Amino acid sequence: MHAKQSAAPGAHKYQAVRAYLVGLVERELHVGDAIPSERALCERFGVSRMTVRQAVDALVGEGVLVREQGRGTFVAPQRMDFEMRLTTFGEEMRRRGMRPETRVLGMGTVPATADAADALGTEPGAPLHHLRRVRYADGSPMSIEQHWVSVGLVPGLLADGPPPSMHDALRAVGLDPSWGEETLTAAEATDEEAALLDLRGTRAVLRATRRTFSADTPAMYSNACYRGDRYSVWVPLSAPAPALVPRLRDGDERLDERAAVGATLEDGRTG
Amino acid sequence: MSARGTGQAEAILAGLGGVGNIDEIEPCTTRLRSLVKEPSRVDAAALRAAGAFGVMVSGRVVQVVIGPSVDTLASDLEDLM
Repeated sequence: MHAKQSAAPGAHKYQAVRAYLVGLVERELHVGDAIPSERALCERFGVSRMTVRQAVDALVGEGVLVREQGRGTFVAPQRMDFEMRLTTFGEEMRRRGMRPETRVLGMGTVPATADAADALGTEPGAPLHHLRRVRYADGSPMSIEQHWVSVGLVPGLLADGPPPSMHDALRAVGLDPSWGEETLTAAEATDEEAALLDLRGTRAVLRATRRTFSADTPAMYSNACYRGDRYSVWVPLSAPAPALVPRLRDGDERLDERAAVGATLEDGRTG
Repeated sequence: MSARGTGQAEAILAGLGGVGNIDEIEPCTTRLRSLVKEPSRVDAAALRAAGAFGVMVSGRVVQVVIGPSVDTLASDLEDLM
């Protein structure tokens, strides 16, 4: 029961083809299914091959469809929405009903770089455990992760081989991860990363640098390289708390915090 | 969460150059983002000694990494300001 589209001007024809394909992807087709041929779409909408290609190209660009040379155009795997939470890759995958897998690329003890030392509160050059892994979801490579933990903090972390879960390994020594900070940066994959992640089209990746704390202890420093064609980051937003502004007026610049306490008492409050 | 109490708020304020050096302090989820009058009066080592996990200075903006206890710290700071 599709409305006849042939009378619509070019832009509307393009929109009609696009809306039809999006509807197919959302309601009828599954990941990996082929979309109708260009010829079938041209006939259905009474449009030129160029208009059909324009609509398909746009959806390929958005990651809804994926084109495979010589084979056709298919429904692309869905992007994963990641809320920035203090969870591990394995926890996130299992929550999605996917099977997480790991390939260890390297494990050992390394001297702390300036960045790692700053993040972990150690001296530069102090020994750090280092673990580098590729993480897979249902058999597809999704990210490359590296973790650094101070040897002084958790001497036996890697004694039994690479831990299946870094968070579990930290919990086992009483360092339950409780909060952290992560910085995300868009980048292009290096040749090595592109090969490890099996990137064929885009080389866009998302780099995440994380500090994981257990209460007041900086427990782990990590970075991850997520493939840009399979990840979206979901960030809950809330209005900022009101800024704190000094009640003191000009001419009070020389007041120190002791004087500020006086001002507080004047206000009738206690510390 | 924080056992540091108001002493920490006083020490953080002193590390930022005293209340007279503050234009405003915005509490974020894990950080205090402060706008100061004179960045040279900010003492990063003192802020770290007061329990900050990091101090980033960019122009007049000073970010102090505190952690989830930033909420209680902010209300202590409000009392001191």
